[in-house]
Amino acid sequence: MTESLYTVLEALPQTSLTTHILDALDTFVPGEWRNITVFEEMVKDVTGESDEAIIQQVGERAMQLFADESTGYARAISVFKGIDSASTVAGVAALASMAGQRFEILSFLNDVTPKPDTTQAIDAGVKLAGELVAFTLTNGLPGDSVGDFAAALVNYGKEEKIRLASWLAIDCVLPLGPDFVLKILEALDGPLERLQESRAFQFVSAHLPGGVAEQRDTIKKSLEESRGQLEGMVASHGISQETVLAKVKEYIAIADDKLDVAAAALDLATNTFEHTGTQTVVRRVVSRAYGEI
Amino acid sequence: MNGRWIQVAAALGLCLVSVACKKDSPKSTRWEDAGSVTVNIATSSSAAAIPVGTFNKFFPKDGDGGFKRIYSADKENYAEAKLQKDGKEVAQLSISDTERLATARDKFDAATEKVEGYPVLKVGNNQTTALVNKRFQVKVASPTLDHEARKAILATFDLKGLSSL
Repeated sequence: MTESLYTVLEALPQTSLTTHILDALDTFVPGEWRNITVFEEMVKDVTGESDEAIIQQVGERAMQLFADESTGYARAISVFKGIDSASTVAGVAALASMAGQRFEILSFLNDVTPKPDTTQAIDAGVKLAGELVAFTLTNGLPGDSVGDFAAALVNYGKEEKIRLASWLAIDCVLPLGPDFVLKILEALDGPLERLQESRAFQFVSAHLPGGVAEQRDTIKKSLEESRGQLEGMVASHGISQETVLAKVKEYIAIADDKLDVAAAALDLATNTFEHTGTQTVVRRVVSRAYGEI
Repeated sequence: MNGRWIQVAAALGLCLVSVACKKDSPKSTRWEDAGSVTVNIATSSSAAAIPVGTFNKFFPKDGDGGFKRIYSADKENYAEAKLQKDGKEVAQLSISDTERLATARDKFDAATEKVEGYPVLKVGNNQTTALVNKRFQVKVASPTLDHEARKAILATFDLKGLSSL
């Protein structure tokens, strides 16, 4: 039996290393994200209603929709979790200690070995595919046109937008540099075994049609079609290796200035996809419930 | 040396605290009983579900009323679109099947207004809704447009087309 919708949202931490990272990245997409971890607050935020009876109806209908596994909402959350858990060391939140208002990634986490560029690039590509899969499970493919994921990215807001900014900053630009799209596409063109070795891919592939080669093409296609949007976002929001590292360091003490080490440490220590992905799905279910009551 | 051990001990202590708090406990209680409500409300229906892709064509056209229309969800029994003006979201539109949610349909018994002959209601502060063919609910939600403005948008749906489903 699926966990109930409100407990899924309310299990998210109000403050964690992940929320600090997201706060740091807010500078790139100002005002988009608020860390809503209380279900009632989410219902009010989506509906703008103050009538308690309406809020109760919307909340209950949303819980009902989520409990029906055929709607795909619960699976969407599991995809967001899966993308993160593939890269996050279990319990790694415990590695963070508070130093004043800043989190400090303990020294041994700074000893993490950075991923080879190709692995990092493949994982970044696979995460975008995970976003596509979760988007489809949550929203269907709105508008009758298959493959309009790129168009949807343009209209991303709130949790979706900070998640995309976080992916661009931490998974793409910080470790791979400004020509990250090219690097990801090149890495995906390597031997298929490399893709299959990616733990994130093992998770996402269960939700993509076809064999491995076809799945690789889907990942490439989602990246190619959204390339303009992604590169535009990087340019217009000033996301660069320098700005990302500087911003992150305002919130988190990282001893090492090596970009790939910092990226690997952040990847290990945070679960931004799971955190904001859960918020996205809850928002979308509540939005639908508001339409249906 | 001592200081170092204190640091390690503190870190370990934090480990335990962090692990224990990795997931927060639910922060509210008002939804605790809703789980059982969920089970009770779920109604069965012999009517076939409305497949994905069915409702899209009945939404207002892109550009109607000067709004940009963006589809945002297309699920079984439910479709949704947003209206934008100058890049800002103005309203959320939806069409849903009330076949499995009797309360959504029954509320129209109290309707006194009509659009194109279909009963219309205001729901809460921000929604105006119509019931087509005693089954399909068409909604316009907007915190900035008033009831009359939302009614005007309802009239730009293809309500007749929807009634032929």
